[in-house]
Amino acid sequence: MSLESAVVDVLVLYTVYAILALSMELEYGELGLPNFAKVAFFAVGAFSAGALSARLGLMLLGLSWEGSFKERSWYYATLVAREVARNPLLGVAILSVVLVVAVTASAVLGVLVTYPTLRLREDYLAITLIAFSEIVRVTARNFDAIVGGTFGAGVADVFAWAGGARYPVLLLFALGSLASSYAVYRRLSTSRYGRVLRSIRDDELAALTLGRDVWKLRMKTLALGSALAAVAGVIYALYMGAVSPDDFTVGKTFVVVMMVVLGGRGNPLGPLAGAALYTLLDKALSFAKHLVAIPLDINYLAYIIFGVSLLAVLRWRPEGLIPEKPPLTLRREVVLSYLGEKEDRRTPCKLFIQQF
Amino acid sequence: MELLLEAVSYSSVLALASVGLSLCIITTKVDNFAHADYVVLGAYAALLFKASSGLTPYLSLPLAALAGGLAALLSYLLVFEPLRRHGTITLMIASMALGLVIRALLQLFADYAQSSLGIFARGFVFRDIAVQLGGARLEMLTVAAPLTSLSLLVLLYLLLFRTRLGIRMRAVAEDAELAEVLGIDVKRTLSLSWFISGALAGVAGVFLPFRFSISPDSGSFILLSLFAAVTLGGLGSLTGTLVASYLIGFTETMLVYGLSGLGVSTALRPLLAFSVITLTLLLQPRGLAGLWRTERGALP
Repeated sequence: MSLESAVVDVLVLYTVYAILALSMELEYGELGLPNFAKVAFFAVGAFSAGALSARLGLMLLGLSWEGSFKERSWYYATLVAREVARNPLLGVAILSVVLVVAVTASAVLGVLVTYPTLRLREDYLAITLIAFSEIVRVTARNFDAIVGGTFGAGVADVFAWAGGARYPVLLLFALGSLASSYAVYRRLSTSRYGRVLRSIRDDELAALTLGRDVWKLRMKTLALGSALAAVAGVIYALYMGAVSPDDFTVGKTFVVVMMVVLGGRGNPLGPLAGAALYTLLDKALSFAKHLVAIPLDINYLAYIIFGVSLLAVLRWRPEGLIPEKPPLTLRREVVLSYLGEKEDRRTPCKLFIQQF
Repeated sequence: MELLLEAVSYSSVLALASVGLSLCIITTKVDNFAHADYVVLGAYAALLFKASSGLTPYLSLPLAALAGGLAALLSYLLVFEPLRRHGTITLMIASMALGLVIRALLQLFADYAQSSLGIFARGFVFRDIAVQLGGARLEMLTVAAPLTSLSLLVLLYLLLFRTRLGIRMRAVAEDAELAEVLGIDVKRTLSLSWFISGALAGVAGVFLPFRFSISPDSGSFILLSLFAAVTLGGLGSLTGTLVASYLIGFTETMLVYGLSGLGVSTALRPLLAFSVITLTLLLQPRGLAGLWRTERGALP
């Protein structure tokens, strides 16, 4: 592997994890409800790419599918990619349809699954979500028509038109998605919506008493978080060039929760730092595998290390690496001008000033 | 008739594990996602016993109980006791981490057993022995599992409702702070209830490999059935969980039998657990216990 492709590899995986962590941050950090089916919504995104990219490409080319999906998906994915290399518009069309389908399906599923439990205690929601994530994996595994069952499915390369630069282009797309996800998250977090979410997290009863529609907000947030996870899933599938249902086990959800807790939940930089930490650790571990020969399987060892470190953080530093700070919801100029006009109001604003 | 016995034995195994889980939920308020891994741990203890002694796995019940119990005790003392003041969500995340750690440890053990001990340790099953009972030839499991389950659950009932220790345990479950003020050693009482809950899971683990192939990550599919039983039972009612285990055990057995008769894949087992959970929460969130416990919520 050349240096360039190694850098691209690390960066693309980082963006995927960072988007997942951001979506978890919105649900767990701000609302206080971790989405234990994160991997299922991530899978919905990846499966949309796996199930649709080759079929859609073929449809747009005016060809018809011959043979079973399981056996032919790799062949047709390559065929579509070859067409995309000649016609970039086809790639753009496929990508946008896949994204729209992934985001819609994920958000709708998110609402449907959580609907029965939104008004109940949070542990009911957690149990339902854990069960749901297993369902998504088992269904995809057993129905070949979705993504080829245990065979997996090929994903058509929608960036084939870029030729040798396809990975850098993919990386740009991934970074763009991360930047816009972060912008959306920041915008929401510093708005009234974010403040209400945090008030629900800290005291649900108080938020209810003040007339906030807690259930509707929970539903909205979970739908939004699920949609974001689906975007990460699409990027992941495009980068891998293939999807396989067995990739999406509960372990992935745990990893995302770990990133948020490790990085510092409630702090917007927390998930970004957590994802970076995880990606580095993960890559370091797989690199170490080549260096030292230990008689243990490094993948299992990695899970032990991650699990123990999460437990240690929960016990000794529950606020994570970057603790939560009260967010600045007014623009800097506004605060400054306010301070300039009314000198006598300085004291109550000290909290704001400390942030600059 | 055979199907009926099959359903009874599966249900009683399910009951052992899910009553243990329910006990944890009542006493410590931990929805322990690692509970199914104690079951798998019990199965591996039985495997190790069988491979090293050559005797039938049924004799390994005490060993498996000890393994499951110790694992649960350690998880309580090392993980859940220090985090007890945190909220439900934090405890759930901790239990998820714990479950993955146990699963990874089992994977490493399976690797070791396969390469160094020469034991087939992934996807293993136990072969059953037949017994003669009143002229009928029965498989040992259909006799042993219901009997063990019944006697252990009766013992648990006696412990909880007929001894001072049981009163202490119920007092801690009701209000840990108040119990502490009254001079009960909360930590010791909880340690005991965790040990019991893990031991029940370990015992259940001995019976499972007779019907299912067990791998280090089998916990994820066992967990769904356990949580379906606990949720249907009312999340924190031992009687409710017991009844629910039998309901789910019977439905699951019949469904799998019916589906394989129709030629449909039986891999969709988790779908049943999921539908039970969602339907319960939609229609009767307080579970079966809500049917007879009316004066106060199903919340412990």
